[in-house]
Formats: sequence, structure tokens, C-alpha cells
Amino acid sequence: MKKSLLGALFLAALGAALAYVPMDYYTEGILMLLCINMIAAMGVSLLTGFTGIFTLGHAAYMAMGAYTAAILIMNYDVPWLPSVLAGGVLAAALAWVVGVPTMKLTGDYYAIASLGLCEAIRLVIENWQSVTRGARGIPGIDPYTTRAVAVWFFVILALFMFNLIYSRWGRYFRACRDDVTAASLLGFNTPSIRLVSLLISAFYCGIAGALLGGYLSFIQPAMFDMMKSTELTSLVVFGGLGSMSGTLLATGIITLITELFRPISQYRMLIYGAVLVMVMVLRPDGLLGSREIWEFRRRRAGAGKEESR
Amino acid sequence: MATFLQQVVNGLSLGSVYALIAVGYSLVYSILLFSNFAHGGFLVVGGYAAYGMLNSMGMNIWAAGAGAIMAAGVVAIVTERMAYRPIRERTSATLYLLIASMGVSIVIENVFVVTIGGRYRALPEVFPSQPIVLAAREAGEAALRFFPGAAEGLTPLLTISAFDLISLGVTVVFLLLLQMFLMRTRWGLAIRAAACDLRTAGLMGVNVNLLIAIVFFVAGALAAVGGIFLATRYTLYPQLGNMITTKAFVAAVIGGLGSLPGAVIGGILLGLAEMLTAGFISSQMRDFVVFALLIATLIIKPSGLFGRDIRDKV
Repeated sequence: MKKSLLGALFLAALGAALAYVPMDYYTEGILMLLCINMIAAMGVSLLTGFTGIFTLGHAAYMAMGAYTAAILIMNYDVPWLPSVLAGGVLAAALAWVVGVPTMKLTGDYYAIASLGLCEAIRLVIENWQSVTRGARGIPGIDPYTTRAVAVWFFVILALFMFNLIYSRWGRYFRACRDDVTAASLLGFNTPSIRLVSLLISAFYCGIAGALLGGYLSFIQPAMFDMMKSTELTSLVVFGGLGSMSGTLLATGIITLITELFRPISQYRMLIYGAVLVMVMVLRPDGLLGSREIWEFRRRRAGAGKEESR
Repeated sequence: MATFLQQVVNGLSLGSVYALIAVGYSLVYSILLFSNFAHGGFLVVGGYAAYGMLNSMGMNIWAAGAGAIMAAGVVAIVTERMAYRPIRERTSATLYLLIASMGVSIVIENVFVVTIGGRYRALPEVFPSQPIVLAAREAGEAALRFFPGAAEGLTPLLTISAFDLISLGVTVVFLLLLQMFLMRTRWGLAIRAAACDLRTAGLMGVNVNLLIAIVFFVAGALAAVGGIFLATRYTLYPQLGNMITTKAFVAAVIGGLGSLPGAVIGGILLGLAEMLTAGFISSQMRDFVVFALLIATLIIKPSGLFGRDIRDKV
């Protein structure tokens, strides 16, 4: 039986179990938050881990998704599903605007632009009072993100993501990460490959933002600040650059740890920063390196050869 | 017209501070080819060091300034030694350095949040803040009636704050010192050589680790000077570095990444653009203008005003 089919069945079964097994209110809340965080982290992982483009502004795409969905639902009575999808699409459109000039350039240009983007989006939201209600935020959004919605969005997006990274495109992304010059010499159109990666990644974050709005029933610009962007990037680094399952594992661990250590939350960012530096210095591969979790056993079995289906 | 001139002076003063910070960042970029996100952290260290020395040790501004420069310089060297050197000795991929520098920046910011607290602090009055009248005209009777304070029958047409002048002057002095260091000394020559090619400079007998330490010290020192002026202008808080780093980076990109004259010109342009926007359009738009300038630069001329168009040699 094909392994990828096995994986898909496993994910679907896991989704069905998580979506419909009864659980108490608190656990349900954590599970939904976990799904939302994982969707956003997968997006960042594709860009930073698989395409090698560092970002400090993905919270801007989450804000875009959250505000688009909330405004469509509240002001225009659009049903929630098209609103959430529109949030993802508009986030990708925003990424296109930033990505077209920056993805052509190698160097830190996108990182710098993403910093500015995060600030600019926050400013627009805070000052466009008539539409966004400014810094007060939008309260009373329909709680359309139920447990089943969050879980199934996660399962579908995860399935798509794992198929993507094992596809032809996944190899293109990795080629761009490992050596842009070599990839372009082989005839790949590296700017558009990098742009595609950015668009998909922004779409994921837009969806995550839209789901977050439906989960909390409240959004405000302060939720999507640089801290959130940094958090997303550190999840990817902690999990291992170039390992999607590592990212998911790290998101799980960090979300749960954050819940456990709520009382000392003022130290959270300090610990995040220190972990980022220590991971880079001591174990730059993160938890899983650039392998997926199911590739470990095979490697240990002695085959030892680089294999990527 | 008077408003315009006043905003130009404000812009020059703010821009010169951006220039100081952008130059330090560009210097590091030109040697190691990565964006040091911890640069804003050095600035905050300098600001808090000056604050501490002025307040609790009762030093005068000269001693406190020197102390702040030393403190930020030492933090910069320690950062390089502890966080960056192990990484750059292992790999030439700059992504790891970038992430580590992000981590350092978060650590520095939150060390201050946790130990001193995140509230806004004002430096004690160390710079004179009274306005200096540059131009005035004889006041008519009407003016005297409405502005009884118009001294000796003169209404000020153009005033600038002494602080703006001092900040502009000090910045120019530091930039000239840097220029002399880079052009007239042996280490300056080595740094310029390393900016062309770090490896070859190393092969020619330059002690690369010492050179990088010197570069980080200089960058930290310049950031500290900028930090003191920014803390006076905006008050001091742990996140001050973030806001300013973004602007200094944008200034460096406008001028051309890695080019020092470019960073100076970019910083001044950015300061002027910000202040003119604040004066004539709206002060909320000033940060948006920064971002718009960045995107415009990236679309029109990504290598910036003075940047070399570096292509990878294969």
C-alpha cells in the first residue's frame, strides 16, 4: 500500500476522532487553538523551512485574513465559509504585492519588507476607523469556528501541504532554499517559485487568522503584532527548518507549554528568544532537522541514502 | 514656509539619528552579509545604560554617554562572541545568523521588560530644550496684542529646538570620526578590505575574529549614541529598538545595503520624509510613508542609491 495514502487515511481518521469524540470545554478550546496555530505554522514552515526565506511579518497576513472574514460576515452578511476563504485569498493578494518586488532579490530584502509590512498593516487597521473600528477591535463576531471546523480545516490543509512538499513543487522550493544560483542555472524560474511559496504561505496564515477571529469572537490589531510573527517563526525553527512534521510537533509542544506556564507568561518571550539563539548555536537542525518524523526509522534501518519520494 | 523650514530642521535632526543607526547596521551587513536584528537591542542597551548612570549614579551627560557607548559596544561584542561566532564558524548560510539575531533582539528587549519593567521612562533633562530663534521680524501692534510674550517687539519666524541642533551636530561628529577611522587607520583599511571579501582579507593576514569584534563594537557604540538621542526624543522603553531597527533597515535599503554613505543619505532622506509627512499630511501616516518608500525602492532600484549590484559569482 502506498505510504502517502496510508498517511492520508491516518490524518483523516485522526481528524474524525478529534472532531467528534466528546471532550470538555477547556480541552476543546486548547485543541482548536492548536489547530489554528498549526495552520499558521505550516504556512511559515513552507516559506522559511522549505524555501529558505526568513519572515518577520506573517502576523500581517493573519490580520488580513481575520479582518477580511470579520468584516465580510459582520457588515455584508456573507456566510462564514466563503468569508474565511476570502480571508485567505486576500492575504495571498497582499503577499503578492510585497512578494513581486522582493522575491526577485536574494538577500535579506523580504525579511526587512516583512518587518515594515507588519507595521504598515497595523497602522492601516488602526486608522481606517470607519471599516475596522481602529484599535478598539471588532467584538461579537459569530463564533463560527467550532471544533469540527477547526479540525477539518487543519486536516485538509495539512493533507494539501504534505502532498505539496513531496511533489515536484516541493523539490523546486528546496532547490531554491539550498542554492538559488544553481537552481536558476538549471532553468528554474526562481523568483516565481519563491513567489508561489510566499502566496501559499500567506494563504495559510490568512485562513488561520480568519479562524482565530471566529474562535475568539473578537479581534483587535494588537493581536497581530511582531511578537506573533516572531512566535510563528520560532515555532518553525524549533521544529526544524525543512521538516513539516517537526513544525507541527513544535507547535504542539509550545502551545501546550504556553498553557501550562500561563502564570509566568511575562517570561515567555524571554524564553522564546533564548531558545531561538540556543537552537541556532547548539542544534541548528531543531527537533527533527530536515526530515519528517516517519523518515527516521527508515534512515536508522541502514539504508542511509537520501530519499525523497 | 516657516513650518516647512522647521520640519526640514526636525527631519534633518531625526534623519541624522537614523543615519547613525543605519551606518552601524550597514557596517555589520557589509562584512557578514546578514541583517543583524539585534542592532535595535544595542540601541536600547545604550539608552538604559545612560538612563541608569544619569539617574542613580548622578553622572553628567558626557560620562554617561561614554559609559553608554562602552556598555552597548561590549554587549555587541559579547553577542557576536556567544551567538554569532559559533554559527559562522560552522556554516556560511546566513539564515541561521538572521534567526539567532532575532533571538538576541527578543532576549535583550525582554531582559529589560522583566528586570526594569516595560513602562516608558524619560531621560532627565540633559539637553537644553529651549527654542532658538533663527529669524524674526518686528512685530506689529496686532502681534503684540495677541502674543504679549513676543519679546522686545519681535515675533519669531523660525525657531528650532537646541536639542535638534545638538543631535545634528553630535551625529555629524561621530560620522566624521567613523570616516577617519575607516580611511586613516590600519584597522579601517582591513575593514574596507573585508567588506570586499572577508575570506581573502583573512588569507592576507587579517585577524578576522578581532576584526569582526571591532566592527561590532563600532556598530554598538554608534547605536548607543543614537539610542540616547531617541530616548530623549521619544522616551525610553524596551520596544524602542524594534521600531527604530525597522526604520534604520529601510534607510539602509534606500541607500543601498552595505553601503555606508548610502546609509547616511538614506537615513536623512527617511527622516525628512517622515517629518514632512507629519507636518503637512498627518502624523499617523509617517510610518506608512516609510513602508511605501521601501516598496518603491525595491521596485524601482533594489540596489538602492549607492548599492553595488552584486551578483553571485559562480
